[in-house]
Amino acid sequence: MADQADQSRRNFLYIAAGGLGAVAAGATAIPFVGSMLPAADTLAASKTEFDVSTVEEGQLVVIQWQGKPVFVANRTAELLKQVDGHDDKLKDPNSEAVPAVQAEWMETPEQRKYRAIKPEYLITVASCTHLGCIPLYKPTTGRKDWGDSVPEDWFGGWHCPCHGSFYDISARVTNGSPAPHNLHVMSYKYTSDTVVVIG
Amino acid sequence: MLDKMMKTQLFAWVDRRLGLEEIIKSQLTEYPAPKNLNYMWNFGSLALLVLVLQILTGIFLVMYYKPSAELTQGGFTVAFDSVERIMRDVNFGWLLRYMHAVGASMFFVVVYMHIGRGLYYGSYKEPRELLWIIGVIILLIMQGAAFFGYLLPWGQMSFWGATVITNLFGAIPVLGEYVSQVLVGGFAVGDPTLNRFFSLHYLFPLLLVAIVGGHIHALHTVHSNNPEGIDLHKPEEQINFHPYYTIKDAFGVGVFLLVYCYIVFFNPQMGGYFIEVDNYVPANNLQTPAHIAPVWYLTPWYTILRSFPDKLMGVVAMGGSLAILFVLPFLDRSKVRSARYRPMFKLMVIMFFIDVIVLGYCGHSAPTSVLKVVGQIATGYYFAFFLLLPLVNKFEKNKPVPEGI
Repeated sequence: MADQADQSRRNFLYIAAGGLGAVAAGATAIPFVGSMLPAADTLAASKTEFDVSTVEEGQLVVIQWQGKPVFVANRTAELLKQVDGHDDKLKDPNSEAVPAVQAEWMETPEQRKYRAIKPEYLITVASCTHLGCIPLYKPTTGRKDWGDSVPEDWFGGWHCPCHGSFYDISARVTNGSPAPHNLHVMSYKYTSDTVVVIG
Repeated sequence: MLDKMMKTQLFAWVDRRLGLEEIIKSQLTEYPAPKNLNYMWNFGSLALLVLVLQILTGIFLVMYYKPSAELTQGGFTVAFDSVERIMRDVNFGWLLRYMHAVGASMFFVVVYMHIGRGLYYGSYKEPRELLWIIGVIILLIMQGAAFFGYLLPWGQMSFWGATVITNLFGAIPVLGEYVSQVLVGGFAVGDPTLNRFFSLHYLFPLLLVAIVGGHIHALHTVHSNNPEGIDLHKPEEQINFHPYYTIKDAFGVGVFLLVYCYIVFFNPQMGGYFIEVDNYVPANNLQTPAHIAPVWYLTPWYTILRSFPDKLMGVVAMGGSLAILFVLPFLDRSKVRSARYRPMFKLMVIMFFIDVIVLGYCGHSAPTSVLKVVGQIATGYYFAFFLLLPLVNKFEKNKPVPEGI
C-alpha cells in the first residue's frame, strides 16, 4: 500500500498543516507579549498640574509626570541670554529631528529656540535621551563652578553624569554627546498665569 | 562503596526499571578523562555548585521577599523594606541574602575562570564548537539573570542600572521603543518592571539548569580537552572520572568554600564590588546617583558601550562584543589547540585577559578623559584579538606538539 501513496500530496498536507500550526502558535504569542505592554491604568492619560510660581528665579525643580521625571527650570534673563551664539555646536538647534523633541505649541522661532511657551519657564522630560539618567543642572558658564567636568567653553546647561552628554540651557544636546536628541518636551498649557497642566 | 551498593537487590530492582548501572558506568566510573587535567579544570564543577547554591538560597529568600514598589509608611518601598526585614528580622535571613548576593559574584568569578581556561587551552576548537557555543548561551542567560536580580532590592543602583539597560534597547531602530516598553511595562522603570523582573529572575535559572544539562551532554559526547590540547587515544592516557576526578573536584570545592565563606561571613560587600554601597539608598526616580556603574562582572561590557560617542554604535559594539564569542571557534583557524604550543596566540590571549580586566576597571570607575581613552584602546584590542585570529596562524610558528601524554 505504501508505494501507492501520493507522496507529493502528503508532503503538501504536512507543510500546510505544519505551517498553519506555526501561524497558530505565533498568534498565541500575541496575548503573552501583549500582556507585557503598559497596562490600561498605566496608559490612562495622566495629567500633572503644577504652579510654576513656586520655582524661584534661577531654580530648577524635578516633578513627576506619568512616572517620568520632569524638569521645571526658572531661567533668569541672564540665563536666557546663554541660549544664543552656539547653534553650530548643537546637533539639532531647532528641535526638528524627531517628534518627541517638539510640541504643537512650538509655533514661533522664538519658542523653538527657548523650547518653552513662556521663555523663563523651561519644562522638559528630565531623562537623558542616551540611557535615561537625570542630567545635572550646571547653569553658569565656564569652568568656574564645575571644574573640568564641563568643556572649557561651557555655555551653561545640563551635564549627564552617566555617560557625559551635555545640553545647553534650552536642553538642546551638543555635538559629541552620546545622547542622540535634545531632552524631550511634551504638550502642556497654562490654565492661569502661573498654573500649568502637563500632558 | 559505590560497587557494593550496585550489588544490592534494591539496586537491581531500580536498575531494571531505570537503567541506572548503564548511566553510572558511562558517565562516572567508566567515563574516561585525560589523566593530565590541571586545576584549571575544576571550575566547571564549581560553577555547577554555585548554581545549586544560588537556586537553593533564592528559593528560601522568595519566602520573605516582596516584589512591590508601593510606598510604605516609613517612606521606603515594600520591596526595599522586605529586603531589610530579611537582613534584620528573618532567622538566618542575613546569611541567606549574603550567600545569594556573594554567590552571584562568585558565580561570575568561577565562570570567567572557566571561560579563560577554555580560551587558553583551545577548548572551543573542533570537535567542541557546540560545547563552546552552548557555554556562551549560558553566559548570556547568567548575565540576564544577574541583571534581573539586581533590580529586586529596589535601591538606587537597582533602579538606575535597570533604567540605563532598558534604555539601551531603545537604540534599536524602529522597534526600540516598543521593546523597551515591553521590558519596562510603562514609560519608566516602576512597579510593573519590578514584578516582571522578579518573574524573569525566577525563570532564567530554570533555563540555566536545562542548558547546563545540554552543556554537560555535549561535553560527555566529545570528552574533555586537556592542557596539551591533543586528542587522546590510548587507554593509559586516560583515567576514570570516578573516583579520580570526583575526588579532585571535591578538593576544589573545599578550597572554593573556604574563600566563599570568608567573603560571606567577613566581607560580604567586598568593598562595594559585590554589593554596591549606593544600593542601600532606596530607589528615587527623581535623582540619579552621581556615579552609576554596574556590578563588576558587567563592567567590561559597560566600558565598550561607553567608548562610543554614538548611542546606536555603543549598543551595537556591546552586543557585538558578546556575539563575537559565538563565532570564535570559526575565527581561529589553527589546528593546534593549546596555547602552550602557540607562542603568538599565547601572547595574544594573555594580553586579552589583561585587556578584559582593564575594561572592567574603566567601567567601574567614574569616567575621566584619560580613562575614556584607555577604555577605547582596550575596546579596540578586545575586537582586534578576535579579528586577528584568522590571520595569526599564517605567521605563527608552532612549537612541536606531543604525540601523547
